[in-house]
Amino acid sequence: MSPVRSAGEVLEAIQKVKAGATAFRTNFFPVQSKLESWVAHDELTTETRDNVTFFVRKDRDFAHLYFCAASPSAFGGEIGQLSVIRTHKLAIDIVGPEASLTELLSLAEQGGFRRYSRLVRLARVASPITPTFVPAAPGINVAIKGDAPEILALIEGSFDRFADQLPTLYEIEAAIAARQILIIRQNEQIAALVFFETQGLTSTIRYWLVAAPFHSHGLGSTLIRHYFSSQPAVRRFILWVTATNQNAIQKYQHYGYAPDGLVDHVLVSEPVTS
Amino acid sequence: MKTVPEILKEIRPEFDFTASNDFINDGMLDSFDMMTLVSALDKNYGISIQGTDIVPENFKNLQTIEALLRQSGAKP
Repeated sequence: MSPVRSAGEVLEAIQKVKAGATAFRTNFFPVQSKLESWVAHDELTTETRDNVTFFVRKDRDFAHLYFCAASPSAFGGEIGQLSVIRTHKLAIDIVGPEASLTELLSLAEQGGFRRYSRLVRLARVASPITPTFVPAAPGINVAIKGDAPEILALIEGSFDRFADQLPTLYEIEAAIAARQILIIRQNEQIAALVFFETQGLTSTIRYWLVAAPFHSHGLGSTLIRHYFSSQPAVRRFILWVTATNQNAIQKYQHYGYAPDGLVDHVLVSEPVTS
Repeated sequence: MKTVPEILKEIRPEFDFTASNDFINDGMLDSFDMMTLVSALDKNYGISIQGTDIVPENFKNLQTIEALLRQSGAKP
């Protein structure tokens, strides 16, 4: 594995694979800003093998594995040969419509990964409405920079590091600077938060949580309603949720979300210890 | 053969792609949609869009997508 020094290197690596591709497959869909941020923080390494380029992104005590493969068989032939699979715990996301994933899932399992979690994407289409003044909601505030460590601790304590793409402190600080984290404080601590990313007509909820001592007080509901009303230009609201988390799915369905057909199988590998 | 707006409409039916000049900044296409679109365009036009061309600038609007198709050997 060698470090990725620029976003352009990634595109060139993808190009090399795609040039001879018969059935190009990938799980690597980074937006430019995220890619540049990973490169700037030295989080990304790469290895090109026969008709496949792998990318590894460091995250806490493990790493995410991404691939661009000329075909599923090229992916299957090389994934088990990666040296990093023997030295690091890895998580790989296989994303797409469920019916299209069978072969890649089987090949990843043959390469040493085991199924860990399955997420589904939910979407909510909003009617176009005229932007209006959003009244301040009592108790709801936009997070400030000093809140970042507390927000990170809450997210790490509430979500799964392998499946939920947990943010780093610098990502949280960037989201705060973009006014994309809303919080409710009670008893001098953050009782609830919603962390979202809005890009034009689409808004993605990354994390919505109520801290355990504050459950069943209506804080989550207050927060998400305020979030919707604060995004009048958005036409499509999306999020990923663990498929077995029926409690969360029912809450989202209550607010009009429904599965849009995309699923994300998360598989993990254990390093070889001998 | 489907037109580019028809393909886009299949991918994201909730958006009016003829009303935007910047699909990426307007939040109408995300990176996953871009890969889905590349795959659909490759199949529809019998071409192979190069990896180095899969950048947001080429998927900004109908004109840039059609220019990309011409550059890749298709006649949109």
